[in-house]
Amino acid sequence: MRGRGRTAFIISFLAPAVLFYAAFVLWPLVQAFQFSTYRWRGLSARMTPVGTDNYRQLWEDQAFATALKNNLLLLVEAGVVIIALALMVAHVVRGKGPVQKFLRSIYLFPQVVSMVVVAVMWQFIFNPQGLLNAGLRAAGLDALTRTWLGESAWALPSVAVAFVWYAVGFYIMLFAAGLEGIPQEVNEAAELDGSKGWHRFWHITWHLLWSVKRVAVTYLVINVMNTFALVYLMTRGGPDRRSEVMLTYLYEQAFVNSNFGYATALAVGNFVVVMGLSLLILFLFRRNPVEARA
Amino acid sequence: MKRFLSGAFLLAFTLSVLLPLLWALMSSVKPGSEILGQPWALPSVLRFDNYGRAWGEAGIGRAFLNSLMVTVGTLIVLLPIGAMAAYVLAKYAFRGAKALLATFLGGMMFPHFLVIVPLFLLMRDLRMLDTVYGLIVVYIAYSLSFTVFVLVGFFVNLPDELAEAAMLDGCGHAATFWKVMLPLARPGLIVVGIFDAIGLWNEYGLALVLLPSEANQTLPVGIARLTMTQQYQSDWGALFAGLVIVMLPVLVVYSFFREKIHETMLAGAVKG
Repeated sequence: MRGRGRTAFIISFLAPAVLFYAAFVLWPLVQAFQFSTYRWRGLSARMTPVGTDNYRQLWEDQAFATALKNNLLLLVEAGVVIIALALMVAHVVRGKGPVQKFLRSIYLFPQVVSMVVVAVMWQFIFNPQGLLNAGLRAAGLDALTRTWLGESAWALPSVAVAFVWYAVGFYIMLFAAGLEGIPQEVNEAAELDGSKGWHRFWHITWHLLWSVKRVAVTYLVINVMNTFALVYLMTRGGPDRRSEVMLTYLYEQAFVNSNFGYATALAVGNFVVVMGLSLLILFLFRRNPVEARA
Repeated sequence: MKRFLSGAFLLAFTLSVLLPLLWALMSSVKPGSEILGQPWALPSVLRFDNYGRAWGEAGIGRAFLNSLMVTVGTLIVLLPIGAMAAYVLAKYAFRGAKALLATFLGGMMFPHFLVIVPLFLLMRDLRMLDTVYGLIVVYIAYSLSFTVFVLVGFFVNLPDELAEAAMLDGCGHAATFWKVMLPLARPGLIVVGIFDAIGLWNEYGLALVLLPSEANQTLPVGIARLTMTQQYQSDWGALFAGLVIVMLPVLVVYSFFREKIHETMLAGAVKG
């Protein structure tokens, strides 16, 4: 676009957004890396520069290791279930029919509801007197009842179930769109070659979903690593840190213990883990297997 | 047989998605003692007064108004300044335009918790901690990335000829934007506005840290607090009424605009 007053126009139109963004997003981001090199407790102004001490402490921190391990467990447990379930459901509800579209939109209900509502609802489902145990008792399966969120072996898997419930709708939509994108000729050719059912799925469809799978895995990593409200409200990371994740630990260090310097180091640590996993995904999905063959 | 199996699977799956939501809805009109006493049973009496207690004594009414204020207040500033920036980035070539756009989009990559401590201290130093307008300012800043991302996509697809014609007719750059281009981008503004509104209405982490006092709390923070305080009073009826008050507006808005929301979600996913 040309015309008089172009430069002044560009500056004046960009200025408000840039100012907000620079002051409240970029500046704290820069400070985050800086703060992580200070020892800084409480609300006093006393900050002691300690170089990489916080990071060394992080490396040896058992609680952080546990939280990271739980994050990765959640990623694997919930991730496998979500992808398998989403693929199966997407296979049944793909297409442009009104019923299919309606069902897909129902599956997104949990996603548009606040994470707080999800967490509170599932807390009551897993309550010792809650929906799940009452259902098990009614079915005569008293032996299976648990205090779910209170037992160290079951707290994290219970959170994973709530996470799957919350997240799976989005992946159904994603995979339905992916299946929709497979050209008709491919399916016809497979038909002619007598490739059906599981055979066709593993040998043809699964490979053709390459780009959708990459998006799905990337989203999973980001979603799981950034889990906070669900764990914080369902279990507080307990019992005995058995469901602690990185961000609930960060919150504890920052706003319960007022360890601001160490908490920012934790934040940077979390960020590095997410970046590392993202790079790993880029590497694993570096080549479209279908394009390579063509 | 195969059709039957996939039908049964689909039914079971759909029910398990809906069950917790319907259970919450049913529990919201139950006498409090029956929610954990007989979780599967229908209410023995319908207690609509749960909603009254949730709204009044439990503080959900005040939290509702706070959430409304924060959401509307954010959108009123966010949409115009986001659209202005997106328009310039989409239609005007200048040095650094690409880098600036990338800087905005980069904001979608990192979690808010990465900056939560510096942000908390910044807000404290600016004396905006625990103020509703402070949270609005932060929400505007953190919603810009997504807003600019979607709106750039809309403006890029508007033909340049329209803006050029307006300028030949004597409109300046700004008048061209406000009178011609912005009205044409209305569908985009609506979609991104709905998306932002849902996200802001539901937001928890930033609101938890930046609005500590009870009088300022937004709905998600208020509900979370209620879960803890009700452990002593056990008014679970009011708590579940509160849950429904949080999720109903969002589900209604979502149902109206679901096609548009699906498109935007997928567009974001496929490009991102």
